Amino acid sequence: MDQPSEKSIKRMRIYVEKYMQKTGTSGHPEPEVTESVILGLANNIDEVGRPLCPCNFYPDKKAEVERSREWVCACDEMKKWKYCHCLLFVTPEGTPITEHLPEDHEGRQIYGLVKDPTPGKGRELADKA
Amino acid sequence: MADIQQVSDSSFDGDVLKADVPVLIDFWAPWCGPCRAIAPIVEELAGEYDGKLKIVKMNVDDNPQTPAQYGVRGIPNLILFKDGEVKQQIVGAVPKAHLVKAIDDVV
Repeated sequence: MDQPSEKSIKRMRIYVEKYMQKTGTSGHPEPEVTESVILGLANNIDEVGRPLCPCNFYPDKKAEVERSREWVCACDEMKKWKYCHCLLFVTPEGTPITEHLPEDHEGRQIYGLVKDPTPGKGRELADKA
Repeated sequence: MADIQQVSDSSFDGDVLKADVPVLIDFWAPWCGPCRAIAPIVEELAGEYDGKLKIVKMNVDDNPQTPAQYGVRGIPNLILFKDGEVKQQIVGAVPKAHLVKAIDDVV
């Protein structure tokens, strides 16, 4: 497993910090979880040119990036519902926000109802939810 | 803590589908944060269910055929097999109690 480039890692660190502020979310209480995801995003920038979410399986990453920006961070689920299954943008307790998800979404089944501590922030695609 | 066997696309049939006991397979990837978060729980379960349940892991980056075959998208993705058939599929870094219930329903 090659280490991503410093340039991509730095780009993602800055992005993640700014996006947390914008959405009022927090990092995971276990720093290695956040670090791992940042490295995964940076690795995908190096590999396919976009910060594709490292918490999904793609049969073909290049084809996925060409297909849609759905899983490019911040993914559509984050922008619509403020839900990050990758645990990058979470509550201070380290749980993904599920309040805005449809009730039949897997996130609701896994984590139950998790209230959004900063409902006035984020959800730039809320109108498409 | 138990050492978890890593399986591959080529060994999946023998290691999982034709196993003598139920099998929990943990589909993971190296840069996946929640995969890291759930790994200690999976290791604990391997010890607690030793002899009754086989627990294995598959790196989806190195083995794309099997996750594609079973419709894996979000990871971690844990699938419970019994007699070669899917009995439960769990996505995400779920609490241990959630996994225990799923396992106890099958084992």
